[in-house]
Amino acid sequence: MPIIEIRQLAKSYRVYQKQEGLWASLRGLFRREHRDVHAVRGIDLDVAQGEFVAFLGPNGAGKTTTLKLLSGVINPTSGDARVMGHVPWKRENAYRRRFALVMGQKNQLWWDLPAQESFRLHQQIYRIPADQFERTRDELTGLLSVRHLLRQPVRELSLGERMKMELTAALLHSPEVLFLDEPTIGLDVVAQHKIQQFLKYYQQERRITILLTSHYMKDVAALCRRVVVIAQGQIEFDGSLSGIIDGFSQHKVVTLLFSPEQSLEGLEQFGEVSEIQPPRAKLRVDRTAVPRTLAAILAQHSVEDVVVEDPPLDEAIATLFSRVNGEERPESKQVGASLSPPGKIK
Amino acid sequence: MKEAASYLRVFLTFARNSLVRDMTFRTNFLLESLASLSWMLANLGFYLLIFSHTRYIGRGSGWGQYEFFVFLSTTMFVNSLVQAFFMANVDEFSEMIRTGRLDFALLKPIDTQFVISLQKIDWSSLVNFAAGGVLLAFSLVKLAARPANPLQLEPLMAVLYTLYVLCGVAILYSLMIALSATSIWLGRNQTLYDFWFYITNFSRYPMEIYSGPWGRPLRWVFTFLVPVLVVVNVPARLLAQPLRPETSLHWTLAAFAIVATVASLAASRWVFNRALTSYRSASS
Amino acid sequence: MTARLTTWWTILRICLEERLVYRGDFALGTLMRFLPIITQIFLWQAIFQARGSEQLAGYRYEEFVAYYLLTMVSRAFSSMPGLASGITRQIRDGEIKKYLIQPVDLLGFLFLSRLAHKVAYYSVAVGPFALVFFLCRGYFDDLPPEAATHSAVTAAAFVASLLMSFVLAFFLESALGLVGFWWLEVSSLLFVYMLFSYFLSGHMFPLDMLPQPWRMIVNAIPLKFLAYYPVAIFLGKQTGYELAGNLCLQFSWIVLLAGVSRVLYWRGVRRYSGFGG
Repeated sequence: MPIIEIRQLAKSYRVYQKQEGLWASLRGLFRREHRDVHAVRGIDLDVAQGEFVAFLGPNGAGKTTTLKLLSGVINPTSGDARVMGHVPWKRENAYRRRFALVMGQKNQLWWDLPAQESFRLHQQIYRIPADQFERTRDELTGLLSVRHLLRQPVRELSLGERMKMELTAALLHSPEVLFLDEPTIGLDVVAQHKIQQFLKYYQQERRITILLTSHYMKDVAALCRRVVVIAQGQIEFDGSLSGIIDGFSQHKVVTLLFSPEQSLEGLEQFGEVSEIQPPRAKLRVDRTAVPRTLAAILAQHSVEDVVVEDPPLDEAIATLFSRVNGEERPESKQVGASLSPPGKIK
Repeated sequence: MKEAASYLRVFLTFARNSLVRDMTFRTNFLLESLASLSWMLANLGFYLLIFSHTRYIGRGSGWGQYEFFVFLSTTMFVNSLVQAFFMANVDEFSEMIRTGRLDFALLKPIDTQFVISLQKIDWSSLVNFAAGGVLLAFSLVKLAARPANPLQLEPLMAVLYTLYVLCGVAILYSLMIALSATSIWLGRNQTLYDFWFYITNFSRYPMEIYSGPWGRPLRWVFTFLVPVLVVVNVPARLLAQPLRPETSLHWTLAAFAIVATVASLAASRWVFNRALTSYRSASS
Repeated sequence: MTARLTTWWTILRICLEERLVYRGDFALGTLMRFLPIITQIFLWQAIFQARGSEQLAGYRYEEFVAYYLLTMVSRAFSSMPGLASGITRQIRDGEIKKYLIQPVDLLGFLFLSRLAHKVAYYSVAVGPFALVFFLCRGYFDDLPPEAATHSAVTAAAFVASLLMSFVLAFFLESALGLVGFWWLEVSSLLFVYMLFSYFLSGHMFPLDMLPQPWRMIVNAIPLKFLAYYPVAIFLGKQTGYELAGNLCLQFSWIVLLAGVSRVLYWRGVRRYSGFGG
């Protein structure tokens, strides 16, 4: 029984246009122009308990809207969803006690007060027994290394520290489902890494279900085995990371370290030269042609080192995005069909 | 019962957090208290000025100086309570709608209207409550020494007075929250706030001043449609008991006040919940 | 010259557009500003009913109503929302630096933009104003022969006083804002000013109602010119030498306050740039 079930969920908005110019403003007093935005266009998804799923997609794809629908923050236009058996937008207290939503760059902690006051408020609202509360709080702040900051007003904390406090607050009531909307956005590399480590550990320990949206491939690569790509309000891909790479990049990247005296002329015949800095060169070679090409290069050149790797994940994703954003919808459907169908990934 | 206890604990935490916050900005707190107080004193000066030119307000209404001061102190009680507990929150509610921060309130396993309405308390507004108390005490003493029909205080009056002051606060709160909730549909609308200010302006004086061909319909509208006149008038008349033969009307009005309170609270809750279903959040 | 005119036209147009973008707001907002007067009108009606006698402090009931309606006009000229606080904010945020580097005079710029804003706003708001005055024209019957409805001289004096109250209010509030060069927490000062101005400018009640010593105080300070004075002229309360004398007094206040603003600005700027570029 999947812990999250989504059937044909859709959300549309009507947006009114603001007019430019004096005359248009006057006319705007009587009649307004509008357009309809289809944020989510009917998605189907199943998530099993304990999964760590990433939502990827270009800006405006509908990832955050989907998370908000699943949190009950907004009502859908049509469709159905169940999380742990509850309908999210009914906003039942029983449901709200069992999940948490964390949004990057949005703060729910009281600005002028120390974080621990906000935590205490959380305890009262979620009715967490005192000893359990203290235990959980100490554990979380310990893991995130922010215990020494509990008494400092939140406004004095750095962005990374604030995010850690937000995470702590969200997990105080030990939710079974966690929704994370771009949790590491705007943070420096060290903070991002710390939070990734924490999430990985926490998820493995507690076996909770996590849905994460992020732009940072490192987050996704480090944490999730299952990736759902959403674009223009629909799911375009649902499978593993390696599936994306296999599906969307036809190339491999071959990095060659040549001997100092070796000339680097004529490399173009073996593949697209993406970088050349003697004595190093990077080539993009078609997957199927890698062994052949390598053999040919090694035969004709003096090479000290070779590395063959997948192209950066970003590139594969970017290809995917541009393909789904373009006119070629049938092509993307075809690509999707050759991969594992949605909902059946374990 | 456990529910109620839990909600009470949350409210006390809100109160405590607000107090801690206010005390962190102590000078600000003092300045704001002083500001409220000086504003009130200036208004008092204005009314003293009026009463230096006339003995009563309204023909045969019985609102003399000290009766009017009872009215004034009732206004101060109601306004200071509304300002302390609800004004900042209702304002913040519109901001939360606009910025999408309302999301956080919707995620909590607690009644959303409760959280929205009570999360911050403005302690500095309560100085006016105290000032109102002083003025009321002073005026009641003077009224007890009134040559014609001297005031006699009974415990029942005190109980009813408190009840009706709370009803008044509830009615004003309902209006505020309903207006604020409409910003989900209308966007941040400054006009709506000015509107609120203008409407409550009508409740600053005894309802007897609304007489004549224009006055009577106005009085009817603001008693039965948008019951702002009920807010201060009912409790104030209870105490000040100006000379008038229409005591039966008075009791009808008092009964109506209860009805109006319940109806306002119910209506505003309905509007609030409808508004929440249309909430769109804000793009991240 | 044409360059300046074009700038003015642009400012005007932008102000108007800005006003009209908020569709619901504008139409209603202007009319709603008249609502508090309704309560005042009923209050005074009740007071007059209780008193019985014809006049209070020299005003009949109709004159009270006319008074309040006319203060809307004088307030339209003299209200400077956000002027003082805007200046203090600019000082605090360091935006003043802009005026030190560029050949733009802060006071001149602010004056022009206030002027443009008022012209823009009231050229559209004149509609609702006219409507209200038309509906209430009955209150302006039976004014004394010195009143502006009967005397062209009074009417001219009324207009002159209105224009002067605009300039006066501008320099008064900018002087207050410029204090921000020395004293950061000007907001308390501004609050006190606002409080006094609300009660002692004639906004709340005709200043004729005040007993001594308040009358003396009110005559010594320039606040009365912000709301009370032009209206008093219109209603025929000021004639002959008294009228001329007070108009000159209003003018002198302008000169004084303009001078004070100037001095505050120069010395403030000097002090400011002394603080390390």
